[in-house]
Amino acid sequence: MSGFLIGWLAILPSYATPLLLASLGLILCERAGVLNLGPEGLMAVGAMTGAATVLLGADPWVGLAAGIGAAMALSLVFGLAVVVFRADQTLAGLAVVAIGLGVTGAIGRPFVQQTFDGIAGFGTAAGAAGTAERLLAHLNPVVCGALLLVMALWWGLTRSRLGLRLRAVGEDPATADVAGVDVQAVQLAAVLACGALCGLAGAYLSVAASHVWVEGMVAGRGWIAVALVIFARWEPRRALLGAVIFGGADALVPRLQAIGADVPTYLMMMLPYLLTLAVLVGASLVGRAGSAEPERLGRVYLRQDKH
Amino acid sequence: MLDSAILVRRQEPGFARNALCYAGGLAAGLALSVLLLVWAGVPPQAIVNELVVEAFFTADGIAQTTTAAIPLILVGVATVITMRLQFWNIGIEGQLWLGAIAAAWIALGDVGPEATRLPLMLLAAFLAGAAWMALPLLLKLRWGVSEVISTLLLGSVAFLLVQHLLFGVWRDPATGFPISAAFDPAERFAPLGWGQLHAGLWVALAAGLLVWLLLDRTRLGFYAKAIGLNRTAARAAGMPVYRSIALLVLGAGGLCGLAGAVILAGTEHRLNQSVGVGYLFSGIVIAFLARSSPLAAMLIAFVVGGVFTAGGVLKVFYSVSEAVVVLIQGTVLMTVLISHFFSAYRLTRPTWKTAP
Repeated sequence: MSGFLIGWLAILPSYATPLLLASLGLILCERAGVLNLGPEGLMAVGAMTGAATVLLGADPWVGLAAGIGAAMALSLVFGLAVVVFRADQTLAGLAVVAIGLGVTGAIGRPFVQQTFDGIAGFGTAAGAAGTAERLLAHLNPVVCGALLLVMALWWGLTRSRLGLRLRAVGEDPATADVAGVDVQAVQLAAVLACGALCGLAGAYLSVAASHVWVEGMVAGRGWIAVALVIFARWEPRRALLGAVIFGGADALVPRLQAIGADVPTYLMMMLPYLLTLAVLVGASLVGRAGSAEPERLGRVYLRQDKH
Repeated sequence: MLDSAILVRRQEPGFARNALCYAGGLAAGLALSVLLLVWAGVPPQAIVNELVVEAFFTADGIAQTTTAAIPLILVGVATVITMRLQFWNIGIEGQLWLGAIAAAWIALGDVGPEATRLPLMLLAAFLAGAAWMALPLLLKLRWGVSEVISTLLLGSVAFLLVQHLLFGVWRDPATGFPISAAFDPAERFAPLGWGQLHAGLWVALAAGLLVWLLLDRTRLGFYAKAIGLNRTAARAAGMPVYRSIALLVLGAGGLCGLAGAVILAGTEHRLNQSVGVGYLFSGIVIAFLARSSPLAAMLIAFVVGGVFTAGGVLKVFYSVSEAVVVLIQGTVLMTVLISHFFSAYRLTRPTWKTAP
């Protein structure tokens, strides 16, 4: 039993970190009032670019950076469409997913299923390794960075001037505008930051967690991140909790299979989605005070619509 | 930043401007797609050959394209309904999966006499699709919960449910593959004798026309238009807002479910893990490009069917991933979305009142 528990705890970071990174990015974006359904596509781009860069001979850290850069480029298209060109955010987000999945599928062909030396963990999971070694096997600097980022974002959003402005843009852009905040610049920056974090999440999947890339690798994690943000009620610290729960549920399946337990795998994989649905229903039962959703999430802001 | 010039909504963009912007966006999207395909290693000659000539101008190609268009028409007009109401159904694939499960359940369990088997499958699929829409609808109407997320979540749940069944009770006993056993002849649509084309075409066309009549020729359709434009005003005018939304949205879910049954009974003849993949983007793209017109949606479903055909050919002969279909859809969706800006808004310089 303890062996099972240690095995589960050891792989947990590999499952939770991508979810955490992507949802932190989404929190930034949605707190600024931009509804972003794109993470599934952005993560796909990050994963493919990261793996391709390493396969072409670059350092794994350069691979991570390339993944971030590529996802930011796609995010820039999204940002221009919704912030500058006032396109519908739901549709533009779906277009980002389609483009991300399409591009990676179409041009990633030569890189499929080739293993490479990615970012290594602190420890090793090899046969004779001790408990501590095995627990450290899937921990790496990116995981630590993600944990630091949780606190940094929490502090930044609630305690800093910039965070106040960002939240103001999401809650009431007209008032923020009057107060001298450049609404569009803040939203564009938030969209780009979200792209960077989603790209990192995707690149983490291929470069750090599995050291290989296959088409469809993201496998719905981007959608889970979208749900996780609601579960976390747009709060970075709760996003960490959510990522551990959702990632933990995800990680449970391969562990249970490894010890040969006969479990309804796919029913278990529904857990994150059902949990989020329960949170949605629960929040609405509590009433309007229970809704933490940014007031102007997903709405187009036009200066002359000021009320 | 860019607001030093003032952005103003155009009240009446005018037909010419609308058409020009739309065509411009479409052309830009297609041009970009071609560039991306060339970048992905498809020879330009092949793109013209497969995408245009093969898919739309050869007998086999047209048969294939029309076959692909059958479920696309169904999800397309279903999305037209929800888009008219400004109800975002991101769970198209979820309802489609549920419809497929229901149809497969009737077929595999041999429910009812053979003569009524196929109609029963279609009915069950419609009801299952509608049922899968019920929870998001309730959440939206009762508590104002965003349907974007709830339909999305249920879409993923539905796919996992399919996998649970395919890796469990419905696994093919003969081969052990995660596909269901094949359906009996009574559980399939009759072939029309032209390629893979089957009688499901009539179902799709009838559903499309019905939606057109419903939306453009009945009182309910008029309510839908009013609700989509301004829900509060529609309510103030005494329209049955909740009842109309509920009826139409459940119907749209049902049509997506029906698409699942039509795919199973028409082309696949069994349930597998790939029948519902790709219909979310297709439904959205079709309804958006059709500007929420059911008749236009049927036409565009045919064109998207051509892209599906070409994607299949490109995959087989040029070993390009099937993802090119999604890529083209996403690119065109994005450019047309952006081009909409130029017909919906105009820029003016701020006029300063001079102090006396």
